[in-house]
Amino acid sequence: MAHDRLWWRVAWRNLWRNRLRTLITASGLAFGYLGAVLVVGVSDGMLVELIENGTRLMLGEVQVHSEDYLPERNMHHTIGGYEGTDLESFISRITSQEDVSAAAPRVYGGGLLSSGEETQAALLMGVDPDREPRVTTLLSRLVSGRTLVAGANEILIGSEMAEQLGAVLGDEIVVVAPSSDGSLGNDLFTLVGILDTGIPAIDQNYALLALPDLQFLMAMGPTRIHEVVITVGNAKDSPRIAGALREFLSDSELPVQVSSWTDLRPELAEMVSLMDASHFIIVIVIFGMAAFGVANTMLIGTFERRREFAVIRALGTAPIGIGRTVVYEGIVLGVISLIAGALITWPILVWWHNSPIDLTTVISGFSVAGAQWRPVLRVEYSVQAPIVAALGLFLTSILAAMYPAWKATRVPPADALAD
Amino acid sequence: MHGIRRYWTVRTLVTQLLNTSLLVLLSSPLQAQTAREIIDRVDRLLRGESSRGRITMEITTEHWSRSLDMEVWSLGVEHSLVRVQSPAREAGTATLKAGQEVWNYLPRVDRTIKVPPSLMMGSWMGSHFTNDDLVKESRIVDDYDFEISFEGEREGVEVWEFQLTPRPEAPVVWGRIDEQVRKADLMPTWVRYYDEDGGLVRTMTFSGYRTMGDRLVPASMLVIPADKPEEHTVLTYHELDFGISLDESFFSLRNLRARR
Repeated sequence: MAHDRLWWRVAWRNLWRNRLRTLITASGLAFGYLGAVLVVGVSDGMLVELIENGTRLMLGEVQVHSEDYLPERNMHHTIGGYEGTDLESFISRITSQEDVSAAAPRVYGGGLLSSGEETQAALLMGVDPDREPRVTTLLSRLVSGRTLVAGANEILIGSEMAEQLGAVLGDEIVVVAPSSDGSLGNDLFTLVGILDTGIPAIDQNYALLALPDLQFLMAMGPTRIHEVVITVGNAKDSPRIAGALREFLSDSELPVQVSSWTDLRPELAEMVSLMDASHFIIVIVIFGMAAFGVANTMLIGTFERRREFAVIRALGTAPIGIGRTVVYEGIVLGVISLIAGALITWPILVWWHNSPIDLTTVISGFSVAGAQWRPVLRVEYSVQAPIVAALGLFLTSILAAMYPAWKATRVPPADALAD
Repeated sequence: MHGIRRYWTVRTLVTQLLNTSLLVLLSSPLQAQTAREIIDRVDRLLRGESSRGRITMEITTEHWSRSLDMEVWSLGVEHSLVRVQSPAREAGTATLKAGQEVWNYLPRVDRTIKVPPSLMMGSWMGSHFTNDDLVKESRIVDDYDFEISFEGEREGVEVWEFQLTPRPEAPVVWGRIDEQVRKADLMPTWVRYYDEDGGLVRTMTFSGYRTMGDRLVPASMLVIPADKPEEHTVLTYHELDFGISLDESFFSLRNLRARR
């Protein structure tokens, strides 16, 4: 053991024999670490942005339906069947779950909106004006007017829909919808607000009504809802949280289906896992490049010391001992680089996380996989990225030392001294 | 002569088909014995025969069932008006068909609403008929090719069976329509509607053949959707008169709104 410590000391001293070279190599690795963590962080930020834009607008991160509601969305398949369920207690049961931030009930219907001469088919969505803003941003996407007040027969419609109907704030809109009893529900609603979400499918087709108003229009009791939308702490955790909620709700008499956004928007989930996988490629590429730089430096270092190694060999040291000291040099270099890398990475990461770079002035937003994407470069903290990058750095410095170490063991005592 | 006869038999079928639609059911040219008579009747029909009737529509679905009493007027194949009389909650609700357009009147909000193209395939009054059923019949002559797929005896009755296939350019929703017509009195017995993949979508069955007004009609019509065989809509005529004095101005939006 004492012998081993000696080799560590030899490695340490050898590193500092050429201070400048070691510092340059270490800073190369440290900046590699910074680069890897930041690139993964920015990419993660884009992912979270994408998920949140895909979920926070309308979808939510987890949804609860009656087990036979999806995919047909038959209006009769409310949670709890014809009887429905005690809404307040059902919602509070859900929100009592750890990781559930908020939950909001919804009712859906299909029907016609008519204003003046114009008539358009619309998807009617009944929302709770108090709870909905806690789970989605839909009600805040108003370009004009205000949000809904329950029980006042008010309606919000998308900007495209408003244009097609030629409707302006304050207009009376006739809403016609097939009711749950087979009759044709119809009533007048006042247009109080116009939504612009940037998603054409919503702006063209959706009309929002207060939950009790739509229930009344469709001859459904206040206990009947189609959907509970839930937001959770971390969107990436949704499948796990949905699973826990499914377990939790399975003991009640209500046959419900719990879906996470990954089930509801599989194309978005696939994109996320694809980008997640690409993080490893980024780390491999960055440290792969660094590895050759480190190997080069250390190879030169060992060639310079050929005579030295030959003397040590001649004094009776086993070749493995010489190889070991070179590998130790690599490990010590890795530790130094890691400390330096962490010291420069953390302040930048914290600063970037708290003040994301807004590129709105350079490029406008666009939609990816049906989700609106803000051109904001934000960085997400992640546990995984720094650890993976640290492992990458460490492996790099050890692997890069392997070849020089092997070369060092091949130095024959007599031959080298003869040079 | 045979060719002409056949042609006009098909024309008669066409008018029969017109009649299979709930609103136009009223204007059957029936008991046609010869090709000449059929020609006369069809021409008169297409020139604008008028009718008035009272019907009951019973709808049964998986989730609810209901019955509506309605009064129906028609003029030729282009115009019809239906007004709900009971239940009281829905009395006054009315549908106007004028050409290719369908309008609804909603007494509760006192508005008329034109059914947009996107909802033409939607249910009419919650029944198993679509809004499109109201308008499409007047175009069937233009949109389909007709052929006799069977001629002979079925369950002891001499019948023709026709197969209607849409013309290549026709803007239609069905991939094929089959219809059976009794030879003796030209009464339709059933019509089957198929989608573009050849799958059965719904079956219409006629019964209760009796003389109403001045002619024989199937007083009852049953529609069963193929994907939900436990659901159905039954339309039954209680009264039916032909040749009443109506003109096109009766089928106006103003009259649609008039509460009775």
